[in-house]
Amino acid sequence: MPLWFARGLRRGVVTTRYPAKPDGSAESLPTPPSFRPRLLTRDVVDRMIEACPGPALRRADDLLIFDVGACTGCGRCARVAPGSVTPSGEFELAATSRAALVKTIPILGDPR
Amino acid sequence: MTGGPTAGPAAFAAGQEEQEAARHLREQIAAQFGRSLHIRTLDTGSCAVCEQEIRLLSAPHYDLQRLGFFFTPAPRHADLLLVTGPMVRAFEMAARKTYEAIPGPKVVVATGACALGGVYQADPFVHGHVDAVLPVDVWIPGCPPSPLALLHGLSVAVGRLAEKVRGLTFITGEDGGGA
Repeated sequence: MPLWFARGLRRGVVTTRYPAKPDGSAESLPTPPSFRPRLLTRDVVDRMIEACPGPALRRADDLLIFDVGACTGCGRCARVAPGSVTPSGEFELAATSRAALVKTIPILGDPR
Repeated sequence: MTGGPTAGPAAFAAGQEEQEAARHLREQIAAQFGRSLHIRTLDTGSCAVCEQEIRLLSAPHYDLQRLGFFFTPAPRHADLLLVTGPMVRAFEMAARKTYEAIPGPKVVVATGACALGGVYQADPFVHGHVDAVLPVDVWIPGCPPSPLALLHGLSVAVGRLAEKVRGLTFITGEDGGGA
């Protein structure tokens, strides 16, 4: 019996575990944005929402509601506000609840 | 979250019972799906880029089979339904029939921004998201989700990997400590 087969039987996984080392191409993948709350103002956020081609962004007063599930990673929000929005680099985003994909980001850039 | 500051011991016990049930369910899923799992893909009107990425999974580079996942052409042989696209209304009956043809226990995975409601709004032609018709268990974001994201999603679906996204804030800098 080949060793890899025996190992697979013992572990209950056929041959090996999920990638042992990070994939080299992963860094060039388009990923959802990450926001800097202190650089976000209501104006900027409203412009980002206008630039977003889908329903991924919306605003509730001083909160930016970001639906990661609806985001296509197109980068249009980052083009509207280059400094305050950067690619998050996260792409392993599978969730067992739809609500876990909806993130709330405080808007802290407006003068108080 | 169960049990706020006003919740008594009864609520606490209920929470524990729930956790026990959840643990039992996880063990069952691991026992059922831990070894090998057959996937049926279902395209409900996608642009076919999700399909391209799904097809890449069986390439030598990603080698899906080493993890015990296999594609099957028939829903009757499948454990997991991998659904792409915004669920075109004309396809609804076919989607329901496919779901019903899969023997239980079964898992439904919604794949890509279309299936998650990020591209098309509900209108007379599309439902706009897969949840409208099928009971989704795992959601994989991405437009398209890369093969790595799909592998992670499949592993989350069978309980081999924990989901990461719950802990992510998508906030950069001092307020969130990185995405």
